[in-house]
Amino acid sequence: MKKEKKCITCIVCPIGCKIYYTIEGNNFELIEGNKCKRGVEYARSEALDPRRMLTTSVLVKNGEWPLVSVKSNKPVPKKLIFKVLQKIKTLSVNAPIKSGQIIIKNVEGSNIDFIATKTIKVIKDN
Amino acid sequence: MINQNVDLAIIGAGPAGLASALSASENGINKIIVLDRNDWLGGILTQCIHDGFGVEETGESMTGPEYAEMYIKKVKKKKIKIMKETMVLDINKKKEITAVNKKGLHKIKTKKVIFATGCREKTRWHIMIPGDRPSGIYTAGVAQGFINLYNKIPGKNVVILGSGDVGLIMARRLKFEGANVIGVVEILPYASGLPRNVVQCLDDYDIPLYLNHTVTYIRGRERLESIKIAQVNQNMQIIPKTEKEIKCDTLLLSLGLIPENELAKKIDIKIDKITGGPIVNQNLETSEPDFYACGNCLQVYDTVDALSIDAKKAGKQAAININKKNGKKSKSIAIKPGKGVRYIIPQKIDKPGKIHMSLRVKKPQKKSKLTIISKGEEIFNKKLPWVNPANMVIFDVKITREIIKSSNTIEVNID
Amino acid sequence: MRNFQVAIVGGGVIGSAIAWELSKYNINVVVFEKGSDVASGTSKANSGVIHSGINSAPDSLKAFYCVKGNQMLHSISKKIGLEVKWIGKYVIAKDERELNELKRLKKVGIKNNVPDLKIVNSDKVNEKNVNCKSALWVPTAGIVSPYEFTIALAENAAENNVKFLLETQVKNIKKTSNNFIISTNKGEYKSDILVNAAGLNCKDIVSMVEEPDFNVYPCRGEYLVLDKNYSSLVNSMIYPVPVKELGVLGVHITPTIEGNIILGPSAEFIEDPDDKKTTKNMMKSLLEEAKEIIPKIPDKAVINAYSGVRCKLASEKEGGWADFRIQESKKNPNMINLLGIESPGLTAAPAIAEDIKKMISKKIKIKPKQKFKTAEPKMKRFQDMTKKQQTELIKKDQRWGRIVCRCEHITEAEVIKALKNPIGAKTLSAVKYRCRAGMGRCQGGFCTQHIVRIMEEQFKINFKNITLKSPESNIFYRRNREEKQ
Repeated sequence: MKKEKKCITCIVCPIGCKIYYTIEGNNFELIEGNKCKRGVEYARSEALDPRRMLTTSVLVKNGEWPLVSVKSNKPVPKKLIFKVLQKIKTLSVNAPIKSGQIIIKNVEGSNIDFIATKTIKVIKDN
Repeated sequence: MINQNVDLAIIGAGPAGLASALSASENGINKIIVLDRNDWLGGILTQCIHDGFGVEETGESMTGPEYAEMYIKKVKKKKIKIMKETMVLDINKKKEITAVNKKGLHKIKTKKVIFATGCREKTRWHIMIPGDRPSGIYTAGVAQGFINLYNKIPGKNVVILGSGDVGLIMARRLKFEGANVIGVVEILPYASGLPRNVVQCLDDYDIPLYLNHTVTYIRGRERLESIKIAQVNQNMQIIPKTEKEIKCDTLLLSLGLIPENELAKKIDIKIDKITGGPIVNQNLETSEPDFYACGNCLQVYDTVDALSIDAKKAGKQAAININKKNGKKSKSIAIKPGKGVRYIIPQKIDKPGKIHMSLRVKKPQKKSKLTIISKGEEIFNKKLPWVNPANMVIFDVKITREIIKSSNTIEVNID
Repeated sequence: MRNFQVAIVGGGVIGSAIAWELSKYNINVVVFEKGSDVASGTSKANSGVIHSGINSAPDSLKAFYCVKGNQMLHSISKKIGLEVKWIGKYVIAKDERELNELKRLKKVGIKNNVPDLKIVNSDKVNEKNVNCKSALWVPTAGIVSPYEFTIALAENAAENNVKFLLETQVKNIKKTSNNFIISTNKGEYKSDILVNAAGLNCKDIVSMVEEPDFNVYPCRGEYLVLDKNYSSLVNSMIYPVPVKELGVLGVHITPTIEGNIILGPSAEFIEDPDDKKTTKNMMKSLLEEAKEIIPKIPDKAVINAYSGVRCKLASEKEGGWADFRIQESKKNPNMINLLGIESPGLTAAPAIAEDIKKMISKKIKIKPKQKFKTAEPKMKRFQDMTKKQQTELIKKDQRWGRIVCRCEHITEAEVIKALKNPIGAKTLSAVKYRCRAGMGRCQGGFCTQHIVRIMEEQFKINFKNITLKSPESNIFYRRNREEKQ
C-alpha cells in the first residue's frame, strides 16, 4: 500500500484552511495546515470515511404533491451514495405522509433510514 | 368586495412572513392576517429539499420543508389567519390592501403592514446573452421547482451559469437525478456560494467549475443545442480567442436574486439602490410609517436563521407600536456604507439602544477591522479574521442618545 | 375534409388578412402554417408600426397599399377588436442637410396622399427628451401589437370556418388541369386556387409549381426592448432621417402598445432566413445610436432583445429596395403570389387582402355569408377591469380569482381562454402572445409552473408535449420519478 500525500480544503468554518495529510490504507497522518482541532477531525473523516447527508425525493401515490422530499437520518458513506439513490428511485409511498415518517429502513444494508421531510395530505377529489 | 379590518397584514407566508406573524402574535397582536399567492405555506422553502437550514437557530440541520413546517405548526397553533392563493393587487398609504382570490376581491384595512414578499430571479436579459431564443433555458429556482415539486426533469445535458448556492445545489440535484451536469460557469475568480457547497455539490461529483468564464452565446433554433463560453479578465471583459462551444440541451441561470418590491414601490417607499430593498430603521420600518419590511425583499440573506431573527424583530416592533400614533418625528441618523462596505442595514437609526446590523463587504479580505465613525471619532470596532461578499457580516452595536443627537451620519468602514 | 376552393400558404399577417377577408364569403378556405401558431415568422418580430406612406416610393404598390391599409385600419381595428394607438411620428433632423431630407420626405408623402404632414422647429417638437433641430410631424402613423393583429384576423377567420392547419408544411405542389394537389407533412389536400403568402419561403412555394424569376434576400433586423418604467421618455415614434452612410443603422425609437419602447431594427443581409439570432455588436450599436437621439436612456433600461427577418427581393448590392410583387402567375393564373412583403407589409395587409379577394372573385363565384360572426370586442384584461366587473367574473367562474402571472396580474381564466383559441395553438408562446403571461419582469419565473399545470390538468396535454413555440422546443425531458402502473 502506497503512502499518498493529499490536501483538502476544510469546510468546517469559512476560513477554509488547506490541510495537508498522508494516507496509507487506514493510516491517517496530519502534516500541517489546520488552525483548530475540528479541522483535523474533518480531514481525518474525509480521508478515511467520508460521509454525506443525502436528500432526495420519493414518488407519492394519491397525494396533494407527486413527490415527497426525504433525507437520510445520518450521513451516508460516499461510496454508497449512488447505490442508495438508485434504490430510493424505485420506491413509492401512499399519502397521507407525515414529516418525520420513515420511508425506508436500512437502505441497501447501510443501517441508514430515509425519513420524509414534508407532510403530504391525500389529494382532494374536486 | 369582502371587507376586513385587522391590526397587522403580512404580505407573504414564506419564512419571513411566518416568523414575523409568530413574533407579532407573541407580542400581543390578535388580528393578524397573512396573505400568500401560493396554495402552500413556506414560500420558496417548500422546494429547497436540501439540508443546512436552521443550524444556528436550532442546532439541527434541517431541510427547507422541515424548517418551514416548524414555523407553520407554531403559526397554526396561534390560530393566525392565513389566506392562501391570494394575490395582493394594490396597496395605498392609508393601509388599505386590495387582494384577490377564488372567493372574490378583498379590501383589508390594517394598522400596520409587513412586506415579506421575497425575491425574483435574474433572467437571461439581465446580462443580455446574445444568440437564439430556444427552449431549455431556465432560471435555477424554476428548474428546482419543477424537479422537486412537480416531478419533471427539464433536460439531460446541463450547464449552470452562476456558482451561487442555488446553482451549486441544482448541480448536485441534477446529478442525483441522472442528468449529465457538464459544468458550472462563474464569471468571478472564486465561487460565489459557500465553500461547503462547492465541495459537496461539485468536487464530490467531479463537476467542473469554470471560474473567470461567462456564457457569450446561445445556440438552438427550437431547443437549446449548445452554448459558447469564454474567459474574462479582471475587469470582466471577454478575452479574445478564448471562446469554446459546449454542446448541451439545458442551461440553468443562477445569476442572482432581486428583492421583489413592486408593491412597496406603489406607495413610493424609498428603496436602497444597492440592496434593492426598502430603506429601513432599526425597527425595520420603512420610509413610510407603519410599513415594515423583512426577509429577502429587504436584503438577500445567506441563511434563513439570520432572516428569521430580523423577521421576528419586524413582527415584534409592529406589535409593540401598534397603537402608537405618529407623533413628533424624532431625529434620525443615517448609516453610511464607507470604505470596503457595499451596503449596511438598517440605513437609519432614530432610537438609541443595541442595534442589530447586517452588512456585506465589497471584496474578500483576511484580517479586517470593522469600525464605525461618528463625527470623526471611532465609536465601535470589531476584528474580523476573514470577510467576503457572500457572507453577511452581522453584529450588534450600542448607539447612544448622544450619538443620535450630535451626528447626522455615521460611517461604517472595513479595512 | 381535404378539398378546398382557396388554399393560403402562410399564416402570417398577410395570409391571415386574406383568410379574414375571404371568411366573409361562402367559400372553403384553408391556411397551411408550418409553425405552431399564426404569426410565427416575420409577422411577430417587427416594429408594429402602422406606417403613413412617406417612406415608400411614389407610384409603388408599397405606397398604394400602405396608405390604403392605414385608412382601413381605423374601421378594421374596431371590427376585430384590435387596439391601435395613433401616436404619430417625428422624423428628426439634426442639421441643414437633414432638414432638406425632411422636405423631400414631405414631398414624397404628399405625392402618396399622406395627409397633414408638417415640418416644425425643435421648439414645436412635443418631445422634451429628444435632440433635434427640426422634425417632420406625421400624425397618421400609429402602433399596434403585430402578433395581436395577426391573431385577431386569424381567429375571427377561424370562427367563420376558415381552416387553420398548424404545424403543416407544404412540401410539394402538383398542378393538374383544374386544381392544385398540395402535399404536406400531414397529408394531401386539393385546392382550386393557391395563394402564396409564405413570406420568407415564398420562393420555395413558387419553385414547387414553376421556375421562379426572382430571388429572396433575407435581411435580419435586431431590436432592443426597454422596461416600461421608461415609457415616459417619448410620446410618439422618433425616426432619424433615412441614412445613407455605411455602418450607421438609423435606429428607430418606437413606443409599443403595452408601454415599452423598442429600439431598432438593424438591417443585416443574411444567408439563412431562419437565423433570428441577436448579436452583441448590434445590441451595442442600437443602444449607442438611440442614446444619441435620447441621451436619457440608461443602459439598465434594456430588458429584452429579439430579431426578425425581412423578405427582400433585392440584394444588398442592388440597393435592397424592391416593390411588392402581388400578382397571379402568368403560367398558372390560379396561383396568386405575394412576394417580398416587407415593411410596410403590416400596414398594407388589409388593403392587399381586399385586392386578393377581388382577384379571386374573378376566378370563382363568391357570395357574402348571411351570418358572419363578428369578432367579440376584445375583453379587457382582468387588471384593467373595474372592481365590480372583477367581482362579477369571479362569482361566475372562480378561476378569475386565481392570479397566475404575478407581473401582469393575469388570471387562470385568461390563460384558459388563450389556450381555447379557435386556431388550436397550444404552446407557451401561444399563451404569452394572447394574454401576456410570461412577458413581465420575471419572464415566466412565476407563471410557467401554472401555465404547465393548466395545460396538463385542463387541456390534458402530456407534459412531454408541452413546448415553447414549436414541436421540437420541448420544455421537459422526462419525469423525475416514473409513475408505475
